[in-house]
Amino acid sequence: MGDYREVQAGSKPFKRAYIAVMLWFVGRAIQAAARVDKAVREEFEKLPEGFTFSLGVQPHGPYMIVGKNQKGRVKYLGWKPESKVVDLRMAIKNIEAALLLFTFQESTAISICRDRIDFDGDLPPALTVIRAIGIVEVYLLPKLISKLAIKRYPVWSFGRKYLGRIRIYFHSILGY
Amino acid sequence: MRIQDYYEFIARVRIVSGHDVLEKIPDELKKIGATKPLIVTDKGVSGVGLVDVLKNALGEKITIAKIVDDVPQDSDIRIVQRLAKEYREVGCDCLIALGGGSVLDTAKGINIMVSEGVNDLMKFTGKGVVKKALKPLIAIPTTAGTGSEMTQAAVIEDHEKKLKKLFVSPFISPDIAVLDSRMTLTLPTAITAATAMDAMAHAVEAYTCLGKNPMSDTCALTAIKLIRENLLTVMKSPDDKNGRLALANAATLAGMAFSNSLPGVVHSLGHSVGSVCGVPHGVCMAILLPYGLEYNLHKNEQLTAELLLPLGGEEEFVKTPKHLRAERTIYFIRKLNQDLHDVSDHRHARFFKEVLDREGKRMVPRERLPEIAQAALGDGTVIYNPEDLDLDDFLMIIEASWEGVPLDRSRIKKG
Amino acid sequence: MYKPESYEFFCPIKFSSGSRALENIPFELEALSARKPLIITDKNVTRRGLVRKMITAFKDSGVTIGIFDGIPDVPDMQLVTELSNIYRNGEHDAIIALGCGSIVDVAKVVNIAVSYNVKILRDLAGDNLMAHPLGPFVLVPTLTGTGYETSKFTFIEDLTFSSYFLMPDLVVIDSRTVRSESLQTTVATAMVALAHAAEAYTGPGKNPITDAYAYAAIQYVKDNLITVLTKPRNKEGRLALVNAAGMAGCAFSNMKPGLIHILGEAISAMFHIASGICMGILLPYGLEYTIQKNGYHTYDLLLPLSGFDEYAGTAENLKAEKAVNIMYEMQQDLYKVTGKKIPRTLEEANVPKYMVNDIAEKVFKDGAREFGIDDYRMVLEHAWEGKPMAHS
Ligand SMILES: [Fe+2]
Repeated sequence: MGDYREVQAGSKPFKRAYIAVMLWFVGRAIQAAARVDKAVREEFEKLPEGFTFSLGVQPHGPYMIVGKNQKGRVKYLGWKPESKVVDLRMAIKNIEAALLLFTFQESTAISICRDRIDFDGDLPPALTVIRAIGIVEVYLLPKLISKLAIKRYPVWSFGRKYLGRIRIYFHSILGY
Repeated sequence: MRIQDYYEFIARVRIVSGHDVLEKIPDELKKIGATKPLIVTDKGVSGVGLVDVLKNALGEKITIAKIVDDVPQDSDIRIVQRLAKEYREVGCDCLIALGGGSVLDTAKGINIMVSEGVNDLMKFTGKGVVKKALKPLIAIPTTAGTGSEMTQAAVIEDHEKKLKKLFVSPFISPDIAVLDSRMTLTLPTAITAATAMDAMAHAVEAYTCLGKNPMSDTCALTAIKLIRENLLTVMKSPDDKNGRLALANAATLAGMAFSNSLPGVVHSLGHSVGSVCGVPHGVCMAILLPYGLEYNLHKNEQLTAELLLPLGGEEEFVKTPKHLRAERTIYFIRKLNQDLHDVSDHRHARFFKEVLDREGKRMVPRERLPEIAQAALGDGTVIYNPEDLDLDDFLMIIEASWEGVPLDRSRIKKG
Repeated sequence: MYKPESYEFFCPIKFSSGSRALENIPFELEALSARKPLIITDKNVTRRGLVRKMITAFKDSGVTIGIFDGIPDVPDMQLVTELSNIYRNGEHDAIIALGCGSIVDVAKVVNIAVSYNVKILRDLAGDNLMAHPLGPFVLVPTLTGTGYETSKFTFIEDLTFSSYFLMPDLVVIDSRTVRSESLQTTVATAMVALAHAAEAYTGPGKNPITDAYAYAAIQYVKDNLITVLTKPRNKEGRLALVNAAGMAGCAFSNMKPGLIHILGEAISAMFHIASGICMGILLPYGLEYTIQKNGYHTYDLLLPLSGFDEYAGTAENLKAEKAVNIMYEMQQDLYKVTGKKIPRTLEEANVPKYMVNDIAEKVFKDGAREFGIDDYRMVLEHAWEGKPMAHS
């Protein structure tokens, strides 16, 4: 029996913390982008009132929840999915896959193609959310990096790109 | 060939192929320990006597619990619910789906309901939501096209609420696919052409879209070759049993490929033309396939060029200079459509304005193209397409494919 | 033109291959309703740090894992009993084999033992005697394959078990567990895969689905083996070779063993040479024999071996010959890049000439009657001498 042992695999606190911060920031950035950017606003307009989605890591998080309130405003709703009714759940299969995604080594599309994300809910809203995240990434990241995160780098006016970027950073950090 | 940085592949379906293999089903059922199948099929299939062929093949060895043959062209939630109820009432312990995509989707839906013991199927929409093994499901495809006997997905519509729900999980795929040449022998030539082009689209898109992997690649190459070598001969002599079986195999291989490497823009638009105008899926695939390749060409030149080998044959491949091969591939798809058009008394459509309903009316009116483009934005397959698409891109493709003119490639946005 | 005929095919394996593949295991186990896996491996694997990699992959999953790393090269039933007890007492509900060869053999037999009962194991040895699926079984292979890991076969003591239920539910190939191995081991792993795949591709049971698995395996071995031997740092190549080994096992489970396999195993057992090395020697000769017997299947072999351009540019009647020549060239290359460590002929493998006849007779006597004794002898004689059969 000397060759047998039981191991309780530990945790990855630093990786989790990084993902938690990224999710928090992306969640608030989506909220900000929905105010600032016309394309993101239009994407979210397609979704029904009260629509809520979560993006997180299986099995124990972290998560972010974003939803549309009664007035049609897109809001970051925190990191606790337990207490909320979520219409669309996007779950990254493990923390390493989340890391690939949030260190922009894999684009959202590639991550899905490699079967690293599960969906619980309908597809059209999921696509809306993915497109919105794509636009947010263009705002938040330098071109060199966001080119890896999306399929086709868009041609935007100077104002949309740089002024928009400043406004979204500003709103995300201040949270309104 | 380079190995992918990461890939997954699964094809858990047992395949039984041959000319008289329905007869093996009783033994197969015995192996899984099932005795009372519910047979799900549609009026078209039972109308041409295929249910009788199946009944004879099963013989005395199997008590068929019940046969239902009223599955509509598009699977609907209500029929799924009704049949799940019947399954339970009769006390069945397995399912046999005899038909095309809709019948199989319906059977997959029933299977989720009866295995999970629920009355609300919609709880299970999404990817990876069904998490446990379901009841035995045997698929007997009667069209050589959809390949859904190999896929892990089911699409169930709620026509009343105008919703289309997608269910994806490895547990949804059938346990056994029985490819018997008798089942496709009576398929009318126009449908043979359309469904074969669906399989062709599965193979081509699996090979050229983002989910590609070594196994989906080899399945796709073989499928394309089998279709090229057999489709036109079967069109000319529909009784060619070997050709029919080859096409059925091609569809299954293509199903294996695209189940593991999901299709792209051809399917995004194809699904939308189907849901907006009711054009049969295979017809959309045949028309859209060359356009999808054209649209992605700047990202996919090498892969598209490789397809010239299975599509054009060896001589053609050698004789075409490397830099022209991709365009030649697209030419061969268009040529195949043209040939099918010619041998089918012009019933095989080459572009959307040519698609007519029974009364000879256009199924796709030009003014509905924007609506189609809009719907395509909500189709999941967009993700798997190598190049991104916005509303204008979809509109550009659908307009060109309606008119029947090649894409103006200078208009394609290349990030 | 090749048309599919009557055939059956089954392969329940899900492949997950590439970067961060190991980290998928907790998720996949969950999908198989398993919460407490038992990892079976050996000291060598532990020493190389792979067990540590596995434990890291389980971090954050909340799963407790059991690890047994005492599998010897020649395991026995005693060990199976011991492991079954560990499995039961530790309340494990899945088996993960980390490694190849005897590790996987034991893991498969233990899976039978815990799903049935250890006492009736002997009754289940044979062909398809298991009536129901076994517990969840995950394979994480290294580059040390013997050709059976992903197959439906397993062996222990004098027993052979064969059932589709023995194939893994999941095969996880991660670049981090696919370390470089000794030249002989790498070549043996690759060549057994190539031999099985080539025989599946050209044999009488050929069908389009087996072909798909075989094609990928052939191509990966051809494109990567020499590179991996000359550039041990080439991660991608090693990943491809282990993929090839996995796929070849699936093909092998859906065909009748061919001549190369039968003779290769026999020589391996009689002279204690790795079966992959034996099959590597026999490969071109066996194929030449197949060409003479049923040439129409063989020409297609050139496609995965040479790629699109060369295949398309070669006349139909020369394709089979060219495919065999590629195999011969590969033997020469292996001999060269390994500093003559990989034998090209049975003579170089130190098989005495006078034993050639004995091998043929033994194979035939042991029940491999698919081929005639003269056929066996002919292939062996040519492979001993290193003389192509094309013109005899
Ligand atoms: Fe399709």
